[in-house]
Amino acid sequence: MAKDTTTPVIVACCRTVIGRAHAEKGLYRNVRGDELAAAVVRAAVERSGVDPDTIEDVVLGATQQRGELGGNVARCVALMADLPFSTAGTTVNRLCGSSLEALARAAHAIAAGAADVQVVAGVEHMHHLPMESAVDIHPRVFARSSRGMLSMGLTAEHLAASHGISRRAQEEYAVESHRRAAAATAAGLFEDEIVPVVGHDEQGAIIEAWIDQSIRADTTLEAMAALEPVFLPTIGTVTAATSAPLSDGAAAMVVMSEAEATRQKLEPLARVVATAVIGVPPAAMGTGPIAATRKLLSRPAAAGIALADIDLVELNEAFAAQAIHCIRELGLDAARVNVRGGSLAIGHPLGASGARITTTLLHALRDSGGRYGLATMCIGLGQGIAVLFERMESSR
Amino acid sequence: MGLSTFGGREELPLHYRFSGSRQARINPPMPASVRELATLTIERAADGIATISFAVRDHRQNVITRQVFSDLSEALDDLGRGPRPVGVILRSTKEGTFFAGADLDRIDALGSMPAAEVEQVCDTGKAIFGRLSASWPTVAVIDGTCLGGGLELALACDFRVATNAAHTSLGFPEVKLGLLPGWGGTVRASRLIGPGPAIELIASGEAIDGPAAERLTLVDACVPPDVALESAGRIIAMRSGAAVAERRRRLAEPVVLDPAERDFLEATTAVVILGRTGGHYPAPPAILEAILAGAMLDAEAASHLESKTFARLAATPVHRSLLRVFRLGERNRRDPGVGRAVAEAPSPISRAAVVGAGIMGAGIAARHLRSGLGVTLVDIDADALARSVPGILEEAAWDRGAKRADPDAAMALAGRLQTATSLEALAGADLVIESVLERTDLKQKVLADIERAVSPTAIIGTNTSTNPIAKLAEAISEPSRFCGMHFFNPVRRMILVEVIRGPATSDATVAAVVAHAKRLGKCPVVVRDSPGFLVNRVLMPYLHESIEMVREGVEPARIDRVARRFGMPMGPIELYDMIGLDTAFYAGLVLSAAYGDRIDASPLIPAFVKAGRLGRKSGVGFYRFRGTGPKARIVGVDDDAARIVSRYALPPRDNTDRTIADRLLLPMLLEALRVLDEGIVREPSDIDLAVIHALGFPAFRGGLMAWADSLGVDEILRRLEPLADLGVRMQPTASLLERAASGRKFTE
Repeated sequence: MAKDTTTPVIVACCRTVIGRAHAEKGLYRNVRGDELAAAVVRAAVERSGVDPDTIEDVVLGATQQRGELGGNVARCVALMADLPFSTAGTTVNRLCGSSLEALARAAHAIAAGAADVQVVAGVEHMHHLPMESAVDIHPRVFARSSRGMLSMGLTAEHLAASHGISRRAQEEYAVESHRRAAAATAAGLFEDEIVPVVGHDEQGAIIEAWIDQSIRADTTLEAMAALEPVFLPTIGTVTAATSAPLSDGAAAMVVMSEAEATRQKLEPLARVVATAVIGVPPAAMGTGPIAATRKLLSRPAAAGIALADIDLVELNEAFAAQAIHCIRELGLDAARVNVRGGSLAIGHPLGASGARITTTLLHALRDSGGRYGLATMCIGLGQGIAVLFERMESSR
Repeated sequence: MGLSTFGGREELPLHYRFSGSRQARINPPMPASVRELATLTIERAADGIATISFAVRDHRQNVITRQVFSDLSEALDDLGRGPRPVGVILRSTKEGTFFAGADLDRIDALGSMPAAEVEQVCDTGKAIFGRLSASWPTVAVIDGTCLGGGLELALACDFRVATNAAHTSLGFPEVKLGLLPGWGGTVRASRLIGPGPAIELIASGEAIDGPAAERLTLVDACVPPDVALESAGRIIAMRSGAAVAERRRRLAEPVVLDPAERDFLEATTAVVILGRTGGHYPAPPAILEAILAGAMLDAEAASHLESKTFARLAATPVHRSLLRVFRLGERNRRDPGVGRAVAEAPSPISRAAVVGAGIMGAGIAARHLRSGLGVTLVDIDADALARSVPGILEEAAWDRGAKRADPDAAMALAGRLQTATSLEALAGADLVIESVLERTDLKQKVLADIERAVSPTAIIGTNTSTNPIAKLAEAISEPSRFCGMHFFNPVRRMILVEVIRGPATSDATVAAVVAHAKRLGKCPVVVRDSPGFLVNRVLMPYLHESIEMVREGVEPARIDRVARRFGMPMGPIELYDMIGLDTAFYAGLVLSAAYGDRIDASPLIPAFVKAGRLGRKSGVGFYRFRGTGPKARIVGVDDDAARIVSRYALPPRDNTDRTIADRLLLPMLLEALRVLDEGIVREPSDIDLAVIHALGFPAFRGGLMAWADSLGVDEILRRLEPLADLGVRMQPTASLLERAASGRKFTE
């Protein structure tokens, strides 16, 4: 995307802490998903300093668009967040890539001069709206693949088995993800990006939520080794510890053209350089980030930028096996990937995760002074999505 | 060519096109000519459509006999001779069936054929089926059972119309006989619906209904029965000759399957199959292999591979065993349960009642409701009665697909469940099944009360596992109408029912109870009164021996592993923990009192009971469990168990895995031979049915007696010899030695 007046930039981004999708213990077990989304949308707008009357649209990603997230929840969220009636709302679904997709669409509209100021958000409440209910996939889909590919865990098992990724390697990866997330939490590195929402602690008392609920600072290889495989009993290698936890949470950001940011005297965090989506065999869904990243870097807008030039990468961790495989295949430097821990530790509220990893990426990029950042995710039924960001000087 | 452009998928499902066109329906034209062959009728209508209508005589449902093939071949010749038809419709004029499969006698005959000849049987059938897509367009109208070879016949046609009637079911049950479809079923199904769904359909053996078949694109349309024929005619009218030719061409080609998808499908399906079969059943992996390999080949080469695989599977002992067990089941359904036919068939029970609302009584009541029969449930404890009702209705209205009870069905069934706290409610019943606690004095009292409450012609059954029927019959003044009716727990899943004749039980009583058990969907086996009856009597040596081996120092987990590897659903030690050691102890007392020379009451069980280790229900028995009850999981063994065992240690023996298996199974066999010698059962096949359906004895081994035949009497004697020092329980019976001399088979 050309760096001119239509260059899409992000002026603010934020997220809730991620709660466990748990009926008795989940932080947000008594908080609706739309409330989480409204909280982050309101905060993103306030933190950005944008003139609400200029916001054209709320583009919100959610994979389960029913119940409390039904009826085009983006419009409801805009109304709940007290945005002007003139701000429209649309809900998009690219499964796990939903809110990264929402960002890409907003950026494309800005680059095309078709729209300008937009709020991008993502939300998921996997406790209130479980991912496997109310879905009826046509058996003809399986004519070209198989029913087994609907189990993301099985695709991870297959990836691990066919690429020699041992259970131990997966657990080492997961332990490191928790270690990094716990360290970042302890150092207060997430504080700027978090919008505290009042939830309930395990005893049921209300609590202002500042700490991601799934991070285990004290986890060990020994503790993980004791777990049973989830998807392939006894012979499998993928356990609850090496799969992203079921989560509830939301994230939002404000995007607009660089020209509009200048006009409103706002300080952008980063510009969106390029985006890419791609399909892969459904059974190989975990490899989506590899194909998407390669495609991303082949875009004209990314000309001259190589993987080695990318300072920080947020690679969504659906499964440790899948993340390890992507890192290996792309030849990424693990020290630059998910520097503040990944979704294995922080959680993976499907529709919210794209906006969540972008939020974390842009804050890490700001703090490190790096230039380029990449956010990429694998997506069920075989897709990948990747977005390339460039930090803007003003954000330092 | 991708699968997406396969087999008419680009076209709208036909029912969309039909909407609103009912008024345009035309009356079927009068046939212009009719010709009748033995199994079918050929009609040529004035509009150019020919209809082949099957009705195979002497069979309840149409089955594919040799005659069907020759008649079909002749019919196609006949149609080729006259004016060229516009299209040909195949259907059945027999109610509720298209074709239920191949004639089982033909399948039976495969056992004695060399592989090449079996392949020939496949290829001959395929050649005739192949003619259905060689000339004019053909449509199968499927209204009723369309299974196995019947579905292959339907798939051999260009198009299929299924009806949405409840009696319509499509599937490939071959795998349940240890086979795969051998008349092109794997080849055509994988091309029509994709390899993954085809493997699921064929390797599971489960049948699906018309709407599900349409979703799967196994059929081209699903319509109400009254418009099925008309719809078939419209398919012919809608498809041009070129479209039909294109479809045939595509179906002849290999299937394009992405290599990553193929690898994943193969790996994940192989794991699922291994989990389900324990590696004991060769057909499911062979189906997976044939379909995946066949997908890469053109249809002709894939078909050749299918025939070869079929011949290989037809030669396996597993196939022979499964076929035999299937036929035993069929025979059981025809068996009235009494030696000589009772003068007249028993009139069906019109009102059944159950006394005792415990687990078994509730299960029996639920089974009645689920089978469409009203039932009266009596328990003097009003609270227990009320507590049992929700569970009974839930079980009776359980929707397997939805994994929950259907609330509407539960409401409807509630009206058919009558509950009462007084035996007066039994006045209108013609069968009462007493199912109170297993205490002889209590049972006798309740039975006497029941007899006073019921009509003089009512039959009285008792559900008991340990009480001699003769003893209970003492409480009954008219014992000819009394018998045992031993259901197994859980009633919803265990299909065996032991019908136990007391000394005075009449044939009419037995016949009526047997017929009633069949209406409940059960497999009744008639046995004579004897301690433990049949099932527990042959089970007890197996359980007993496992305890002896534990005392000799064999790890419980090893014993269980050996039993599972043999094919038992769980090992004897796990079974002890599931039954509950207290329950097992009391059952053991009855049997050791009766058969003390070979089953002594092991001191280990009461020691465990005394230590509060009752098994799964107390969270610890031989094993330690996480949680209690049915969902508890074994987490291992503990030192306390080892300490108790060490108090009753026996001298260690050289127990190899093979010895462990022999020690578990051979005493079972010897006890079964005694059961036969004593005339407790009428024939050896009753033992096989009973151990398969009540104990989960592996069907792929054909049952206990068939397994003995597979070893042979000489081998059995050889294996018993080194065990003889263990006592009578391991020593050949006289009848075993007689068999060694005469060569008479165990299944004879």
